[in-house]
Amino acid sequence: MMERLLVVRCPGLLEEDEGGALLRTFIQVLAAVEVYCPWVQPVRPGICSLHARGPARYFGGEPALVDLVTEATATIAETQVGIADGLFGAVLAARATLVVPAGTTPAFLAPLPVTTLGDPDLAELLARLGIRTLGNFAALPERHVLGRFGADGALRHRVARGDTGELAGFRQPGIDRRIQRDQHGGRPAAGTQGGFWGGTSDRDARAARTLADVQRLLGADGVLRIRLQGGRSPAERSRLVTWGARETPGDRTMDAPWPGQIPPPAPAIVHTPPLGAEVVDDAGEPVVVSGRGLLTATPGRLSVGGGPWTAVTAWAGPWPAEERWWSRARRRTARMQVVLAGQDARLLLTEQGRWWVEATYG
Amino acid sequence: MPGLTSTGALAARLGLLYEHMFDAIVDGPEAPSETGPAGGECRTPVKDRAPAVRESLAILAERARPTSSSESQLLPVTPPLQGLFPDGGLRRGTSIVVAGEGAGGRGADRASGTTSGLTLGLSLLGAASSAGSWCAAVGLTGLGAVAADDLGIDLTRLVLLPSPGPKWAEATAVLLGGIDVVVLCPPFPVRPAMARRLLARTRDRGAILIVLPGHAGWPECPDIQLIVGNTRWDGIGSGDGHLRRRRVTVTATGRRSAARPRRRELWLPSMAGTVEDAGPDGPVDVPT
Repeated sequence: MMERLLVVRCPGLLEEDEGGALLRTFIQVLAAVEVYCPWVQPVRPGICSLHARGPARYFGGEPALVDLVTEATATIAETQVGIADGLFGAVLAARATLVVPAGTTPAFLAPLPVTTLGDPDLAELLARLGIRTLGNFAALPERHVLGRFGADGALRHRVARGDTGELAGFRQPGIDRRIQRDQHGGRPAAGTQGGFWGGTSDRDARAARTLADVQRLLGADGVLRIRLQGGRSPAERSRLVTWGARETPGDRTMDAPWPGQIPPPAPAIVHTPPLGAEVVDDAGEPVVVSGRGLLTATPGRLSVGGGPWTAVTAWAGPWPAEERWWSRARRRTARMQVVLAGQDARLLLTEQGRWWVEATYG
Repeated sequence: MPGLTSTGALAARLGLLYEHMFDAIVDGPEAPSETGPAGGECRTPVKDRAPAVRESLAILAERARPTSSSESQLLPVTPPLQGLFPDGGLRRGTSIVVAGEGAGGRGADRASGTTSGLTLGLSLLGAASSAGSWCAAVGLTGLGAVAADDLGIDLTRLVLLPSPGPKWAEATAVLLGGIDVVVLCPPFPVRPAMARRLLARTRDRGAILIVLPGHAGWPECPDIQLIVGNTRWDGIGSGDGHLRRRRVTVTATGRRSAARPRRRELWLPSMAGTVEDAGPDGPVDVPT
């Protein structure tokens, strides 16, 4: 089941200019969206996304959410807002300012030209074969595509079929850091080496063949690897990358100072997105963090995702968390560690009286 | 802002948009720009790529051979864990089930089923991974990169299949054919016949299968079973300190030479996110 994504696309802000003025305007757009939907994610300059399901329910449906976001950003820049299943469809839906109903994204994509896949070589080759639309491309049998166009072509084929939500490499890694650095006149990071095909041992070769088989079985993006990068929160420090996809340079340098990092050991599981939770005291009253950064009551019980209550046996914090770099709202966020009955330990994040489980120690 | 009201309206809109609208959308990292983006690399044109891929595969197929008999039948584990295994390491062709002792909070959320044994399961990979073995994890969502790295796992040789769906068993079977250590968190209940097939495949291919049963359960008897119990977090109180380390008792039982229970007191994770010996017996240095 592919995620319902809302995409805000700012046609005038897709490029980066020397002075960084366009990026600063994009930051304002993010801040305006964030007022309503705290989990908005910058994807690349001029494009941001957010999971639409929750906010749509809250704001009275997907068209209402689109209207809200459009209005909130209209005074800052020209924006196009749309919703579809998966990032690829959602960006195209935004470009057309459409809400594509859930489950119909493949039909929406079918008549669009193959050039939308962002690979001119592939598009040219397909055109010579008489294949001009995503629908025609999607109709090719998967094994033929893999044999003829390689793993990269197979990835795009899965995107065309709607099996995969986004093109590998479309997200610009570490865009937040990048914008910050660009504002300070820095340079982009140097490219990194994937190194996978460079491995020469028998073991590496055998693993490569095995993983190609698994990708044929599950699809290319069913097989991932994990990359470590700098950042403050556990989620920021982990990044999933499709196995064998071209490496895009990571921007989060490990040795940068990351004030507000949670002390080690690190949690074994990071929940992305975080799981909604409730924290109450022994009397059942909600516990929140006060304006002074203190808990209003002793945490007694925790419920995750509306599930059963579990007793909190120990806790630490709250520690003030970083403000989102684009936020003008000056939100107070804080983190807290809790140990539950049975010695399960969790990392919680709180913002405006709401709680989330960000990570699980295990 | 118009929502989608009719397919006719949609078609009309799109008809206007086809010719010019999509070019700029995806022209980021994939576009072969004349100037060459910073950090970008030259790409082989598609028409030349397919033969190149075939050639690579041919070379790989030639290089790839079955596990040679001279290859060590034992993969290393970090010293604090050696005492849990009759051979002092992970024997190829064997299976290990790692579980928590009466993991509390059943059904509290999806994570709680696998967490109690997760760090122990992952810690078994550290030494083998550092020594060049390939590892894979099936059905494990949200693995923290920092925790895995701290346990000594080489992230360039770790493959994740977080959501394999209904083909999870088939995918696991394929992995066992070419990946040294496979961690399996079954996403669905496991039928005995399916479990037996995976165990047989593990034996045949000389792989190592580590199962974290979670709520799905594991119906077959493994070669070695590791139970995590007496867990106790250290360093955290009532609003003070922070999670510093976790003391656990790990008990190993099994078949044949592993039949005699072995017990180890461990810091798992330690203050550095690694595995450390917590003393042979009895609680030492556990503050209240």
